[in-house]
Amino acid sequence: MSAAIKDHQPVVSAPFFLRGETVEGSDAQHRSRDLGVTFTTPTIDLNRAVHPRSEVPPLLNVPLAEIVDFLVETGQRMLAADNPYMQECFDRMAATHILPRSVVETTARHAVAYLDKRILMAEVEQNFPDPRALDGWVPKQDFTGRKSFVRAFAPRLIHVLPGNSPGVAVKSIAQGAMVKAVNLFKMSSADPFTMVAILRTMAAIDPNHPIVKSMSAVYWRGGDASVEQVLYRPQYFDKIVAWGGGDAINNVIQYLGPGFQLVSFDPKTSISMVGREAFASEAATDKAADLASADVMTLNQEACVASRFVYVEGSQEQVDRFSEKLQRRIAERAAASGDIRPLAMDLREQIEALMMIDDEFRVWGKTDGRGLVVRSEEPVDFHPINKTANVVRVDSLDDAVKWVNVATQTIGFYPFARMPDYRDRLASGGAQRIVQLGEAGPSTIGNPHDAMYPMHRFVHWMAHEDGRAAA
Amino acid sequence: MGNAIEKLTGLVKAEHRYDIPFAELRDTQIEAMNERFQARKDAIKLLGHRAGEAKIDTIRSHAEAVPLLLPHTAYKSYPESWLMDERWDRLGKWMDTVSSHRVPAQDRSKVRDMDDWIEQLQAQGFFVSCSSGTTGKSAMLVASRQDMLWCQTEAVATYTWGSGITPAQDRQMFGMAAVAHVPRNLYTGEAYVAALQDPSHERFNYPVPPMTVGGLTQMVVLRKAIADGTAKPGDLQKFEATSAARQKAVDDAVGITAQAVIDARKSKLHVTGLWAGLYNVAKAVRELGYSAKDFHPENSIYVGGGLKRAKLPDDYREFVYETFNIAPERNYQNYSMQELHSGMPRCRAGGRYHVPPWVVPLILDKSGDALLPIGNGEYEGRAAFFDLSIDGRWGGVISGDRISIDFSPCPCGHKGPSIRDNIARYADLEGDDKIGCAGTVDAYVRGVS
Repeated sequence: MSAAIKDHQPVVSAPFFLRGETVEGSDAQHRSRDLGVTFTTPTIDLNRAVHPRSEVPPLLNVPLAEIVDFLVETGQRMLAADNPYMQECFDRMAATHILPRSVVETTARHAVAYLDKRILMAEVEQNFPDPRALDGWVPKQDFTGRKSFVRAFAPRLIHVLPGNSPGVAVKSIAQGAMVKAVNLFKMSSADPFTMVAILRTMAAIDPNHPIVKSMSAVYWRGGDASVEQVLYRPQYFDKIVAWGGGDAINNVIQYLGPGFQLVSFDPKTSISMVGREAFASEAATDKAADLASADVMTLNQEACVASRFVYVEGSQEQVDRFSEKLQRRIAERAAASGDIRPLAMDLREQIEALMMIDDEFRVWGKTDGRGLVVRSEEPVDFHPINKTANVVRVDSLDDAVKWVNVATQTIGFYPFARMPDYRDRLASGGAQRIVQLGEAGPSTIGNPHDAMYPMHRFVHWMAHEDGRAAA
Repeated sequence: MGNAIEKLTGLVKAEHRYDIPFAELRDTQIEAMNERFQARKDAIKLLGHRAGEAKIDTIRSHAEAVPLLLPHTAYKSYPESWLMDERWDRLGKWMDTVSSHRVPAQDRSKVRDMDDWIEQLQAQGFFVSCSSGTTGKSAMLVASRQDMLWCQTEAVATYTWGSGITPAQDRQMFGMAAVAHVPRNLYTGEAYVAALQDPSHERFNYPVPPMTVGGLTQMVVLRKAIADGTAKPGDLQKFEATSAARQKAVDDAVGITAQAVIDARKSKLHVTGLWAGLYNVAKAVRELGYSAKDFHPENSIYVGGGLKRAKLPDDYREFVYETFNIAPERNYQNYSMQELHSGMPRCRAGGRYHVPPWVVPLILDKSGDALLPIGNGEYEGRAAFFDLSIDGRWGGVISGDRISIDFSPCPCGHKGPSIRDNIARYADLEGDDKIGCAGTVDAYVRGVS
């Protein structure tokens, strides 16, 4: 079996983290398709992965302020040059991740930037009308005189993590900690390392801190009934926080029921809309194309906020001019990032077929992963990825609204002044964010994500009825 | 057709065709691939483009054929909206980019629907078969009349070798599945009937309306409409009703077919279908009190495709064989795929699939980029083939299959290359738990499959 020998890669150990303790072992062997490595894990001690309901969550009575301080310190330790866990993790990601090291490092720095006191507090304040409910029982009284206390009680959460973003790992830890949850992170085969490295960094700060005792990270192959059938129960967890779609979610759905709910972060596609104002002058066209290219190239188009379809209002001649400029700017950004990966075979195949039918489609660039634009009259069937944008010509942006659907996340818009005219229709179509073109990445701190305030949904809202106020 | 091509495809009925060592075929195969390439590089637009990109103007080795292989996605690269909008003119134009022979311009106003379009193309010599992709796009494979005639000859010849049965028009044929009503199936079906069916008996008609290409694409079109958000609840209701009616016909067919098989049990039978259908009929036959002892000892079987996600008991194969009294040596198995016009029959002694001389095995690395060196003994890789018989489109295809091939002689004694009976799809092996935040509306479409 020479092919098997050829494919042979070193085996990497992926330890688990169970409520404060690192668990080493090589009882099971798995393969990460994305990383191109085989990794070994210990067997999961399921008893240790579950915090019994007879015990209150360890973080329950730790003040939010202390949790936030711990998270901030974690962020600083994550980037420290003498942190062996994270350094090893970065090295491995740079060696194996599809994105180049500079992008990986930027991503990690962005992820850590979230662990900032003002940011974390703003998140809490936007998610909870009264954040005091996290730290204690908040007194209430209605207009009839009935009194009670309400608590945003610490939940038990399973997080099914995606593999494409260390940002999600950091955010999940921070949000899970701030709602004082007992957290079990199910890692993805695409990255079974980062989460444990962060948790070990936290344990190195204080191995006995309740925040560390509230966190576990393990890997099992998604859909493995021998684990999921056992763990996915309301007796053990309140909510399952899951990213992605398709099989990943379908596996989870079968276990939902009373007391075991899904908070889903859905797979999303982002787009851009460019109005005819972009053709008012050559400079305007340049500017719009540059802004659009920034959105297309967000995280080199690996992220859900990265634009894939650009609806442009204009004549074919105008739109072709825009497309040409857009392709040039995408290619410049791609070259600057040093990220040249050939397009996947099926994507290449579909684009080449369109090149053959050249009166209805036009293609700028090549299928070599250096940046490519396809212009068409309707969105193409395939999912543009790896520095590929589909420019769709429309007579009016009104005509583009019909292509906004429940999977549309972010819409980068130009010119900015026309945004209020469109936002209601875009929301009605299913979209979640409309942003100024070129600003797909940043968002106002604490804003809703996936059309919800997630932390508000994570917690177990508990009421303590306290009778009537004395007349 | 060039000399080398003729030399190899001319072996279609040769006794010794699986007994020729690869080393003896190598040069002729390269020459034949080049003959095809020279004849097609200007005719098949996509191939010409591919050759230009790879800067290949002559095929001088197996490795040089690799950049010219097309994956199955090449045959589903048309924009799906053209199907929805019934843009037959555009679809015809697309098809022209993958066809060896010029697809005449289609007059959109003279085409009623998908099936009518297929029929009109057929009248003009273009035979379009369509994969039954239920969850995604259908591949549309164009072929010529010459291809259809080849498929007829090849199918029966391969069956004869693989089953050890010399066709003698002495069997009653029982199809136990609704076969897709596409030209290739119709032509090979006819050939099997002509070869095997006893003319003194009327042929059994499986009592479910055939699935036409139009019927197959209807689901695809509805799926897209759901994704776009344009499908109305009433459309879904209608689709559900049609599906339910069809399912009922399939369910009812089980009892009707079982009774017909029982009535014919004294005759020599040839049973065909997919596992799910065969199993259900077998079960009904058993329930009616009949089993192996009641059937003819020389019965034969041909099962198309794999399990196709049907959930059956572990011993479903044995159960079917035992019910219809199929001796192991008459259990014909064949490895092929939609994109090829030739099969690789399984030998009875070694249980391996044999590659015929006119099909060039090109075993690639997992990613499908490079040819693996031909190993001593068995080795594993991504299956790609160049089917030299194909006239109407390009014969070089990359599959999604992981196979283990051996270019040394098979235990059955035949010296040509053979493939182990453990073929798997990379997609199934790798169907891992990868999730990310970026995704398409496909994840939001439920229930149309």
